[in-house]
Amino acid sequence: MPALHLAQDRYGWLPPEALREVAEALDLTPAYCYAVASFYDMYHLEPVGRYEIAVCTNVSCALAGAQDVLAAFERELGVQAGGTTEDGEFSLSSFECLGGCGWATVVAVNWRYREHVTAGDVPGIVAELRGGEGAGDDA
Amino acid sequence: MSAPAVELVTVNVDGREVQVPKGTGMIETALAAGVEIPVFCYEPRLGPPVGACRMCLCEVEGMPKLQAACTLTAQDGMELRSAQTSAKAAEGQNAVLEFILLNHPLDCPDCDKGGECPLQDLTFRWGPSNTRMHFPKRTFEKPIPISPTISLDRERCILCYRCTRFSEGVSEDLQLVAAHRGAQSIITTFEEEPYRAHFSGNVTELCPVGALLPSTYRFRARPWEIDNTPTVCGLCPVGCNTWATTREGKVQRILSRNHPEVDDGWLCDKGRFTFDHLRAEDRLREPLVRVRRRGFEAVGYDDAVREVARGLREAGGSVAIAFSGGETVEQASALARLVRQGLGGDAAILPDDLDPAVDAFRAPLSAIRDAEICLVLGDEPVMERAPIVDLWLRAARRAGAEVVTVGPAGSVSTPPGSAAATSAELAGGGGSDELRDAGRRLREASRVAIVWSGDDHDSGRRAATLAASLGLGDGSGLYVLPRSPNGRGVAQAWYEAGEGRGFDPSGEEELGALIVSGDEAAYDPRVAQLAERARFVFATSMFTGDHTLWAHVVAPGTSYLERDGTVVNLEGRAQRQRRVVDPPHLDELELLARVGTELGVPIAPWAAEATVDDHAELAPRAQLEAPPEFAPAASTNGAGPGLELVVYRPLFSGPGVERVESLAFQRPAPEIELAHADAQARGIATGDTVTVGLNGSGRALRAAVRRKLRPGVARIAAEHADGLGSHVEVTKA
Ligand code: SF4
Ligand code: SF4
Ligand code: FES
Repeated sequence: MPALHLAQDRYGWLPPEALREVAEALDLTPAYCYAVASFYDMYHLEPVGRYEIAVCTNVSCALAGAQDVLAAFERELGVQAGGTTEDGEFSLSSFECLGGCGWATVVAVNWRYREHVTAGDVPGIVAELRGGEGAGDDA
Repeated sequence: MSAPAVELVTVNVDGREVQVPKGTGMIETALAAGVEIPVFCYEPRLGPPVGACRMCLCEVEGMPKLQAACTLTAQDGMELRSAQTSAKAAEGQNAVLEFILLNHPLDCPDCDKGGECPLQDLTFRWGPSNTRMHFPKRTFEKPIPISPTISLDRERCILCYRCTRFSEGVSEDLQLVAAHRGAQSIITTFEEEPYRAHFSGNVTELCPVGALLPSTYRFRARPWEIDNTPTVCGLCPVGCNTWATTREGKVQRILSRNHPEVDDGWLCDKGRFTFDHLRAEDRLREPLVRVRRRGFEAVGYDDAVREVARGLREAGGSVAIAFSGGETVEQASALARLVRQGLGGDAAILPDDLDPAVDAFRAPLSAIRDAEICLVLGDEPVMERAPIVDLWLRAARRAGAEVVTVGPAGSVSTPPGSAAATSAELAGGGGSDELRDAGRRLREASRVAIVWSGDDHDSGRRAATLAASLGLGDGSGLYVLPRSPNGRGVAQAWYEAGEGRGFDPSGEEELGALIVSGDEAAYDPRVAQLAERARFVFATSMFTGDHTLWAHVVAPGTSYLERDGTVVNLEGRAQRQRRVVDPPHLDELELLARVGTELGVPIAPWAAEATVDDHAELAPRAQLEAPPEFAPAASTNGAGPGLELVVYRPLFSGPGVERVESLAFQRPAPEIELAHADAQARGIATGDTVTVGLNGSGRALRAAVRRKLRPGVARIAAEHADGLGSHVEVTKA
């Protein structure tokens, strides 16, 4: 799994070549690496944007209005959950528990958490990221 | 072997008491008590149970919730109630089935599994007759060919993970996997590449539903229209036990017929899918006789028999025979008697000539799995020569055995062709530190398996000497892999028909007559050379080939699926091959009997009546006569410029396989394997096109870099090595 992360850091996502390289290095098969990578949401089998926005939609967050937060992001970015904006800047996904239930709704931007997010905060977050500040590229 | 004393425990299943060894699986325990617990995912041959399907739910005294019985083992005093006596378990099982069927397409009338489908059977026997599912079912594109031989229907898949457990934990090819998770899980290969592995076909038998099916059987037959004949595969020296399914006199598929000591219920894809060669377009159906200037003419059997008898009689005792090694013992014996007793000839090309000393260390193949340490010697990849042996070795390693491979691609690296020298070193306690260490561990272990996979001169005797010097006792085994499926039986038949070995027909003299038995022999370049020196050549073969240009009489030959007789596998086990379908011409044995009559040699045209059981037992070990001393082994690795070429014979080759279109993807790619260091020095990476040859004349092949390969050595499949010498230079193209 760390090898998959390294490959993902290099490529930004896990294209077939990356899976082949990892397999070769670990004496496994690409199919096996693909199986592992596809199990976990944090591995990307398709290209993702510069900012990955993950909205937790698991129970606690759902109770705190996560669906509205997600819908707000969809509106603001013009993509559906699971998609990437045309300019390649943003990828949006709905996520299983991010482990921050006490601070619902949790939104992770490039795996940095923002807590107690409400639908109303969304335009602000997007504007901030568009402005180029905010969570950097360090995943 | 000192087996630890087994502790018996008493378990109560549905009110019936049964005693079983502690730790026995609950499914088997219940069966011992006469209770069937239905299962889908449970299959002990795939490793530890996974409890994926929940079909086996049972009530266990003292446990609040229903338990998956397949994950439990027998403990003393346990009380288990299956769905047959527990309403709670029955309800649970019902719910499980309803759940499994939620997305199942129920297209049974369209499904090849229908009529022999565990899901269909269990639903019928235990399941609900109705569903509350009113939403549209999940649909997939179907069927998807995951290889030219296997189709996958994802709608029917119940995610029992039998297939992926096989791929990961039995054949260890890691090509068929479950991707994504939960309800989105799908069975898949990487990037829609074909599932290309020697044992892929087994998943079609493991799948408890119609999700993975052999494409070659698609819409071919229904269970109530078929016959299953028990027979033995005749394509390699393992001799897996099989069922051949026929419909209206045609072979439609091959299934395993689990012999726990030989194959453990697995088949390789060669054994499973080669049957289509029976219908090859270039099959010979009539005898052919060469007529001056007019080429060949099809003739009746009377003429053919007369012509063969004439040619053989006129040879005046100068008769040689080339065997294929796939003949039954009865065929070989008829031929051997014809030559040695009827015609006074004494020369034969034997594909295998194992010293009988190996039988002093005879053991079932399954003993490999129980070994503490396995030693594999020789240049030929075990997987290519006797694939099931590779599975047993993998099973041994998973069970904790140390597997030491000695060879150019081994864990102990030795030069090509040095198995004989290495075995002498191992026996004498000499050699490199690594070898000495391995020798010590081999001597200390009480259960040892030695596999010898090479064409080294005199390998049988050398292997036996090694086994004797390492002190191999009961519980240990020696397995020398013959080149051909029944090479052992053929050699035995030849020896029995005359005095000893006779001689190898090499030399320069003219031959009166040459008999070429079968396609393998006909394709052997050595035999073609011999034919040039023979005044008369009689060949039997299934297919047309170059030999039909140099033979004088060619009679159509039979496939291993068309004859009745005995074959001896690598263990020395005599097994019964059955005629599954009739050949489209006279049986070879009957032809030989008629030639025999013409020449005054009595030959019974039929196989000795049912000599062997359906699951043949292994004969007891032979007595070891004092093993001969090691003759010093000549090192065969001659020096030369460039890389030393190791040529191996791939499993997916031979006259039968080459005629089966659906197996073309399994044939070896035009590829040369290079050692890591050699590749680096030449700036070559896997996938590069390289020029292979000497002095500028070369051919283009794809490079495959192997970390395990010994530097200075390159490896290639025989069919791509034509015309390449013992040493080659490899350059990036
Ligand atoms: S394809 Fe068959 S064997 Fe594989 S998981 Fe699905 S049902 Fe089980
Ligand atoms: S391993 Fe050998 S005997 Fe078994 S199925 Fe394959 S070819 Fe036939
Ligand atoms: S058979 Fe027990 S869970 Fe599948």
